[in-house]
Amino acid sequence: MRVLLVQDSTGHSTGYHVVARALRDAGIEVVLGGALLPREIARLAGEEGADAIGYRIMDAAPAILVARLAEALAAAGLADIPVVVGGIVPQEDLGRLAALGVACVFQPGATFAQIADGFREVGAAAASRRASMP
Amino acid sequence: MYDPKVIADIARAQAAYESRVREILAEAGVPAASTQSGLPLKTLYTPADVGDLDYRRDLGFPGELPFTRGVQPTGYQTKEWTRRQVVGLGTAEETNARLRYLMSQGQTGFSVCGMGYANYDSDSEHALGFVGRGGVWIDTLADIETLLDGIDMRAVTVNQIGSSIPVFAMILAVAEARGIAPGELRGTIQNWAEPGGEGPARRGNGSVDILEYCARHMPRWNSASVSVRNTRDQGCTAPQEVAFGCFLGAYSLAAAVGRGLDAERVAARLSFFLSAENDFLEEVAKYRAMRRLWARLVRERFGVTDSRSCALRFHVQTSAINLSRQQPLNNIVRSALHALAAALGGAQSMSVNSFDEVLATPTRAAATLSLRTQQIIAFESGVTRVVDPLGGSFCVEALTGQIEEAAASLLGKLEALPDRDAFDFMEELTRDEAYRRQQAIDRGHVKVVGVNCFTDWPDDDTDQPRIEPLRYDPGWRDKQIRRLEDARRRRDPARASLALVRLEGAYRARENIVSPMIEAVKAYLSIGEIARAREAALSESFRPTTWNFGR
Repeated sequence: MRVLLVQDSTGHSTGYHVVARALRDAGIEVVLGGALLPREIARLAGEEGADAIGYRIMDAAPAILVARLAEALAAAGLADIPVVVGGIVPQEDLGRLAALGVACVFQPGATFAQIADGFREVGAAAASRRASMP
Repeated sequence: MYDPKVIADIARAQAAYESRVREILAEAGVPAASTQSGLPLKTLYTPADVGDLDYRRDLGFPGELPFTRGVQPTGYQTKEWTRRQVVGLGTAEETNARLRYLMSQGQTGFSVCGMGYANYDSDSEHALGFVGRGGVWIDTLADIETLLDGIDMRAVTVNQIGSSIPVFAMILAVAEARGIAPGELRGTIQNWAEPGGEGPARRGNGSVDILEYCARHMPRWNSASVSVRNTRDQGCTAPQEVAFGCFLGAYSLAAAVGRGLDAERVAARLSFFLSAENDFLEEVAKYRAMRRLWARLVRERFGVTDSRSCALRFHVQTSAINLSRQQPLNNIVRSALHALAAALGGAQSMSVNSFDEVLATPTRAAATLSLRTQQIIAFESGVTRVVDPLGGSFCVEALTGQIEEAAASLLGKLEALPDRDAFDFMEELTRDEAYRRQQAIDRGHVKVVGVNCFTDWPDDDTDQPRIEPLRYDPGWRDKQIRRLEDARRRRDPARASLALVRLEGAYRARENIVSPMIEAVKAYLSIGEIARAREAALSESFRPTTWNFGR
């Protein structure tokens, strides 16, 4: 499995790097995209053939960024790439993120195992969706 | 400090005691103890553990070399630490209102986050979703004018978080408009030298420009608040925090000397920004160890003779990495303990994190509670009446020595590396530690109350106080764009374009950028315009580093 890991800004990036290493240790291939705009994330996800996008959001409003990412992915015909969000996500945004198609949200307190399992499940679900498509 | 005969006698008795302790612990299956940072801990400390301390040489008196016991002869008796809660939300209007409220409640310092971090204007694609969320948003001088409105810059010291030179210039421009000369201004800018710039003078290196400008024009301003607090919060250990801080401080001092500045003068205006974490005794020892290591380093390396230039002065912002989203009220207790360690460690200035900061930008009530935490420690706990009250504890003195030794050894390793490699190595070590920390929590080796133990929390709402985190207002961006458009409309276009040309020329010539920047911001050029001018002049895209924003 190949995960594109990106973030909204370069500040406070501990979680980003720690999760990257945890995913690699769990046998998942990680492409570090760094801090990118939503449209840049969509483009890179296509170029890298990512099976999932892990989006660390710390500084910005998650629902605003994810809405832009969802739009950019749809425009690029990549809407089937699942998006996983990590970071501090306000309670009121959880429903909005789910409505935007976010597969999974990891907040502070998530363990390495939970995050790696979460990515695997999301990747497997996306693969089976693709397989069942005509 | 002690009679060697007495020490030898204690050491013999201690050896017998320790072997008994080892047996009991082995039988009980208790593993060897260590500090949070992994330094070995004993069950008990005695004079034999600190028998080689020379009181005058290693501890001395507060206000005297090597400053182990503090930098002020009277500690907090004559000078309280500055209550400097960090503030930053929405536009300059919201942040100014919050600041003024906190000042009415006893806050004594200015510290604002978010200023000039982004290098884009609020109307840019890059700002969408960001404006006002991770701190205040600043576009032009008009925003800093609003931010400082009603705040007496002669009475309140300004701490600039981030090293944005445009923002620094805006602060100076507001002072000038109020008739305050740079030489009178008291405050601090987060800064340290990073590799870059050609030759020993490091021309074109913005961090050195700040050091130079301050050394020449601002004798009462701290030209570098060397921040290792955020590095600590990214995962590194206490000895690493000390070593990285001393490395960055010495590196900055050397860069200033390379620019032709006087080491003594620059050293007198270096300050530090440190963390306060969970392991209480280790943290207190850390501040003491760093004061001693820094004083010796400045004196021996740079030949500084005025002892005041060797004194390590620091601000503490309590740890965020140790706060939990789960059971957030527990964070009140954690932050209070962190703050108590900082007070016992002799901090000059403090910001206590709010319990809801792990959920959102703190509410006004939560920020006030953080201020109250500082005030309760200062006025009720009694710990401020005695200077360095934990000094002389066999344990704290032993830990102080251990941290100093570990930090000095790491500092030696860092200094043996080429500049860029040393900076990369600090990042690598920090990431390794961050990974280990999370692993230790996941495995239950480190207990976090409410996260991996004692996780039950009553579901019944009536049993717990309601916590309502601050909600992000997307309208802040619209408001900020209006402020930006207004500033652009009101400015003198001829003056703005002239200042822009002058600024580009200064970048190309690699002049000290601070003076032309002051002219640029006074012409109401925006941070985005300034950043684009810089990119054009230097033919390089602007890449902010993680902790030196906006240079």
